Amino acid sequence: MKLFICDLESKDFGKLIPDLPDDDKVILYDESIQHCIGCFGCWIKTPGACVIRDRYGDMGEYLSKSQEVIIISRCCYGGFSPFVKNILDRSIPYLHPDFVIKNGEMHHKRRYKNVIDLNVYFYGENITEKERQTAQKLVKANSVNLDCNIGRILFFKSIEEMEGQIL
Amino acid sequence: MKIAFIYGSPKAKYSASASLLQELKPLLEQDDIAISEYNFRKPLLNKEEIEQLINYDILVFAFPLYVDGIPSHLLNCLIQLESFFTSANKKDIKVYSIVNCGFYEGHQNKLAMEMMENWCSKAGLKWGQGLGIGGGGMMVMIKNVPMGQGPKKSLEEPFRQLANNILNGASGENIFVSPNIPRIFYKFAAEIGWRKSIKANGLKKKDLSARK
Repeated sequence: MKLFICDLESKDFGKLIPDLPDDDKVILYDESIQHCIGCFGCWIKTPGACVIRDRYGDMGEYLSKSQEVIIISRCCYGGFSPFVKNILDRSIPYLHPDFVIKNGEMHHKRRYKNVIDLNVYFYGENITEKERQTAQKLVKANSVNLDCNIGRILFFKSIEEMEGQIL
Repeated sequence: MKIAFIYGSPKAKYSASASLLQELKPLLEQDDIAISEYNFRKPLLNKEEIEQLINYDILVFAFPLYVDGIPSHLLNCLIQLESFFTSANKKDIKVYSIVNCGFYEGHQNKLAMEMMENWCSKAGLKWGQGLGIGGGGMMVMIKNVPMGQGPKKSLEEPFRQLANNILNGASGENIFVSPNIPRIFYKFAAEIGWRKSIKANGLKKKDLSARK
């Protein structure tokens, strides 16, 4: 399946992706989300699932069933928006707590075998050149940690500018 | 000089970020230095906290690396602060950051540090210096090891440099440092730790690899 992780409201997402296949999953902005508390419960209490049982406790499982992840996020300081970052922070049960050495660096071992294609669409009116560079490096770093492939990393000035550009 | 220590970990206890700020504190103790402490554990700051922070000369953040970046709750706080600092037009506050990660290599904190620098630019604040530390997973366990000894041998000089720059209100190159133990030993100790923890929770070692 395709997994969309977005900080958009439903009406904006509908404009960007008018025809969504039934088996795709979409996560849209939700102010009720709880944040990761760094407890590592997703590794040592309920392995593979977050101990916070709001609607985002099974991000690891969702990622494990995804062939493609599409992130649509406001660019904040060269990173993701707080909501999208929250989803990613809550996604570490996708990984195994043990370490492997990749590219001469320590990273987490895989829990699942699926290899994700990651496409990222950043938007924002005042994204500076430095923020853009940080964001590009960030997606590459994320792809190493998630052991996934990078597809597109694109930047837009507004949500409207993304219309017709996703996928 | 008024300094605010900002604890950016969501953890109330056993926080590596808190341990690291406690290491920095004695290096800043002088008669003309006043240090106050703020805990940013939630994604929403109260108005009082925000308004107080504008009265400091220096902000020192300490936080853990989450997924190559700033934890989401802290990012929310930074956005609120950006909005306030921008409208207050206060340009002479200097920002320093200590970022720690569970990976061995300190340089894996580099992007979070860039984001803090980018935040400073947007909020109209001055970037002082960043210190990125690897091996964060063991910082609480070794908090009683004296600075400069054993696994903390590699941290002494970076902490001294950071403290001197803070005391002088000076800027410096960001520093990234790994603990003074072999990486293979850190990896092994961490993996033993996960197995002990999962057994303590009534599960089996093989459950670490459970799939949903």
